[in-house]
Amino acid sequence: MKLTTLLAASIAFIPAVAMAEEKGKVEGIHHWVSESEVNALKVITDKLATKGYIWQDSAVGGLSGANALQALRTRLAAGNPPTTMQFLGYEGLDWAKEGVLRSLNDLYVKNGWDKALAPQLLAFVKSDDDYISLPINMHRQNWVWANKAVFDKAGLAEPKSWDELIAAGPKLKEAGVIPLAIGDEPWQILEVFEAILVDVNGPDFYEKAVIDLDEGALSSEQMVDAFDKLRQVRGLVDDGFTGRDWAVATGMVASGKAAMQVMGDWAKGEFLAKGMKPGVDFLCFPTPTATPNYKFVIDAFGVFKSDDPVVVAGQDAWAESIMDPEVQTNFNKIKGSIPARSDVPVDDFDDCAKRSFADREAAVAGGAMLGGLTEGFAAQPQFSGVYSDVVAKFFVTDMSSKDAVQSLVDGINNAR
Amino acid sequence: MNTEANSARRSHLLGRLFIYGSLLALAAFYLMPLWVMIVTSLKSLDEIYAGSFVGLPKAITFEAWEKAWGQACIGTACDGLRPYFINSLLMVIPAVILSTGIGAINGYILTKWRFPGSNFFFGMLLFGCFLPFQAVILPMAQLLGSLRLSGTIPGLVLVHTVYGISFTTLFFRNYFITIPDELTRAAQIDGAGFFRIFFSVMLPAALPIIVVSCIWQFTQIWNDFLFGVSFTAGQSSPITVALNNIVNVTMGRKQYNVDMAAAMIAAIPTLVVYIVAGRYFVRGLTAGAVKG
Amino acid sequence: MRSTLSMRDRLTHWLPRLVLSPSLVAVFIGVYLFIAWTGWISLSSSKMVPKYDFVGLEQYIRLWATPRWETAVVNLFLFTVLFLAITIAIGLLIAILLDQRVRAEGFLRAVYLYPMALSFIVTGTAWKWILNPDLGVEKVVNDLGWSGFVFDWITRPDTAIYCVVIAAVWQSTGFAMAIFLAGLRGIDTSIIKAAQIEGAGLPRIYMSIIVPMLRPAFLSVIVLLSYISIKSFDLVLALTNAGPGNATEMPSTFMFSATFRRNQMGVGAASAMMMLMTVAAIIVPYLYSELRESRNEH
Repeated sequence: MKLTTLLAASIAFIPAVAMAEEKGKVEGIHHWVSESEVNALKVITDKLATKGYIWQDSAVGGLSGANALQALRTRLAAGNPPTTMQFLGYEGLDWAKEGVLRSLNDLYVKNGWDKALAPQLLAFVKSDDDYISLPINMHRQNWVWANKAVFDKAGLAEPKSWDELIAAGPKLKEAGVIPLAIGDEPWQILEVFEAILVDVNGPDFYEKAVIDLDEGALSSEQMVDAFDKLRQVRGLVDDGFTGRDWAVATGMVASGKAAMQVMGDWAKGEFLAKGMKPGVDFLCFPTPTATPNYKFVIDAFGVFKSDDPVVVAGQDAWAESIMDPEVQTNFNKIKGSIPARSDVPVDDFDDCAKRSFADREAAVAGGAMLGGLTEGFAAQPQFSGVYSDVVAKFFVTDMSSKDAVQSLVDGINNAR
Repeated sequence: MNTEANSARRSHLLGRLFIYGSLLALAAFYLMPLWVMIVTSLKSLDEIYAGSFVGLPKAITFEAWEKAWGQACIGTACDGLRPYFINSLLMVIPAVILSTGIGAINGYILTKWRFPGSNFFFGMLLFGCFLPFQAVILPMAQLLGSLRLSGTIPGLVLVHTVYGISFTTLFFRNYFITIPDELTRAAQIDGAGFFRIFFSVMLPAALPIIVVSCIWQFTQIWNDFLFGVSFTAGQSSPITVALNNIVNVTMGRKQYNVDMAAAMIAAIPTLVVYIVAGRYFVRGLTAGAVKG
Repeated sequence: MRSTLSMRDRLTHWLPRLVLSPSLVAVFIGVYLFIAWTGWISLSSSKMVPKYDFVGLEQYIRLWATPRWETAVVNLFLFTVLFLAITIAIGLLIAILLDQRVRAEGFLRAVYLYPMALSFIVTGTAWKWILNPDLGVEKVVNDLGWSGFVFDWITRPDTAIYCVVIAAVWQSTGFAMAIFLAGLRGIDTSIIKAAQIEGAGLPRIYMSIIVPMLRPAFLSVIVLLSYISIKSFDLVLALTNAGPGNATEMPSTFMFSATFRRNQMGVGAASAMMMLMTVAAIIVPYLYSELRESRNEH
């Protein structure tokens, strides 16, 4: 008897789900599930609510967004796309090529958003002639986060080159501090490697080897040098780095157990959450180089084609919420990044963000704005995947630099 | 004479000591992760970050359990695991009943109403037990979409029933094969038809294997992650997907105690089923899964 | 009179097939048709979304030229062999020990069985801490005074796969034990008594008489454990996330990342087909012999 009731209840669920498609709702798939990420997202959805739309959350966390992408794929296959979806790297462009994304040209022109964005960023929100996504922020990837007390005690200053940074290792070890905190996840290792790649060899080399995937650059001596540097960096890391979450590594720097971490500016939120102040308790500086550069990562939302005027109106409201200057400011103060719009006042951001703003301007002027490889802004995923495979294997085994370069070349050619 | 009896007793005692010693050592090994999970879920976050993962909590707090059940945030929805727990119940109960029922009648046909080719069909069904499910996700999504079941719990019920049939049929077929054909033949001579024999002769005899089938299906479906994450989103997700969202925080300070409490909550239904029906489990296996 | 009888006969003749057919249709579509679809995709140039063209074996060639796939294949082989061997050995040992009329058997059985009730996503997280040298077993033993004790398998690419084996064994031993115990309970005890009277010791009785009698139980255990081993997707993700580096990559995780993370759906489908073929090579002969045996019995 009870079983039939339950059966009936589960069938009665169909209308309940169908009702979710009702008026006035904006459904979004995203992979922001941590507290600070969610708080940042709330800034946008609160704005959306003032426009009279309800946010329906379809968060799918984990696996660097792969779960969310899988969910999207099956939803599209089933002919039931969400209203909007968070994109990293080429994802948005790839989906635009499949013809499932709505062109946002009308909104961009009407609101002048096209003029508010840096040109390097446009490459990821514009597919051919169509604007296809709405960038909310810009993270900088090539940061070093350091514990100030540890640096002062060891008499260290901001290093000017990777050699200097590596040379600080023995001193820090003597003081009983782990020089560099990192986890063994391939993406964490790749963040370090791609920083070395451009810092040591310059932005032009990075463009050739990573963005153009030029075989000559891939197999060059400079590539071997970069791997040699990474091998030296391996010496700065403790043995317990397996399975270490990046935030745990950040915590090690915050507590003084480790001296430095190479990580994007999402790490900043971790320090701030502990009540630490930039410049006072912790230091932020770009990865050391003679050729300053700015590695960016953008979070952007695309919206899916729909014939339903109610859905389209909801998308308009969603787009205006994301691109609202005030929303961009408040969102990024929580998330640790800086606004995607370059016309937003920066006065009340902290020192790290201000440095990020200044460096961005310099990099835009100097042609040193580069897409981050790890998060998919430099190469298509099948190629960045080869990079992360090789670099991760190199880092955890005693592979030689020559072998690493060889398997990098073979892997890239195989994936072409 | 006396010493011989003594040494026999001593060797018997040593044997017992060995048996109990090994069994208890193994039991400790098997309980260790559960211990870690329970202990961690009862600690405050500060105590965990202060160092000890394994030791007893200094002060027991159910904060993490309350948070995991009612407040933990998944995306911007801060309802904890409760709604997803209910989703999983609404999914698992119909799916277990359907797949076990279908498996029972399939097993009955494949043993008592055999026809040319029925063994071949059984082989075809069985291969479904060993399917790597990733291979069928995309076509399945297309099918669910055209059935208008995409993103719904009935859709998940359908998927779990289809892929559960193979195993339940195997269970029932191997069990029913041990019931003598004379029994069904006698019932047939008495005038009982296809369904009457099934309901009044076969099913009453099949209780142990029904329990086995239900336990197996319940565990598989409750713990499923891949189908859940692929075919549902947001509010209609099963508990494993919600658990993954809580545990796999991509950025931010890990709340280990909430993770562990959430994992425990997700594990409790299947744990209870095992504890209550563990005895049937072994008895059922004796009758069905082991051939011969 | 005669015609109704034949009606009934005809109904009796067709009814079983009729009742069975929905299951067959469901499985035909859900398993075979979908496999065919995946097979087709593996021969196409599909990248991000399915594309229905034909490029021959290109994706398979690409697959076998990928070092990560080789790692995955070697790992699956290593994992399956170790997982099956250890699980069967410990499961059999526990079953035999429990069969010695011990006290609190029900409780102990429940203890060995409960891991089967937990999702890999749950157990992987707990094991991750236990195996971590900074948090788990190594630290506890060190704190107890044995400072030289090292247990850092999970941090080393050449040994991390054994950690996956340990967690998988932990999860599944209870299942093997239950089946063996059932097999043992089905054996006539007079055989043991007869052998004892002839002077054979218990270990020898088990080794040379009882264990060979458990052949059917062994087969069931091997089949069910192979299934679990192929499914070892969630465990690897939760325990090592295929790391350190990609050292614990398995075909199932490879397939997932190729298809969903790297826009290589064709390669993913090819790897799924390789997994399927491997499974078929093991399972089909087993099913065939099982079905033949049962046909001979009746």
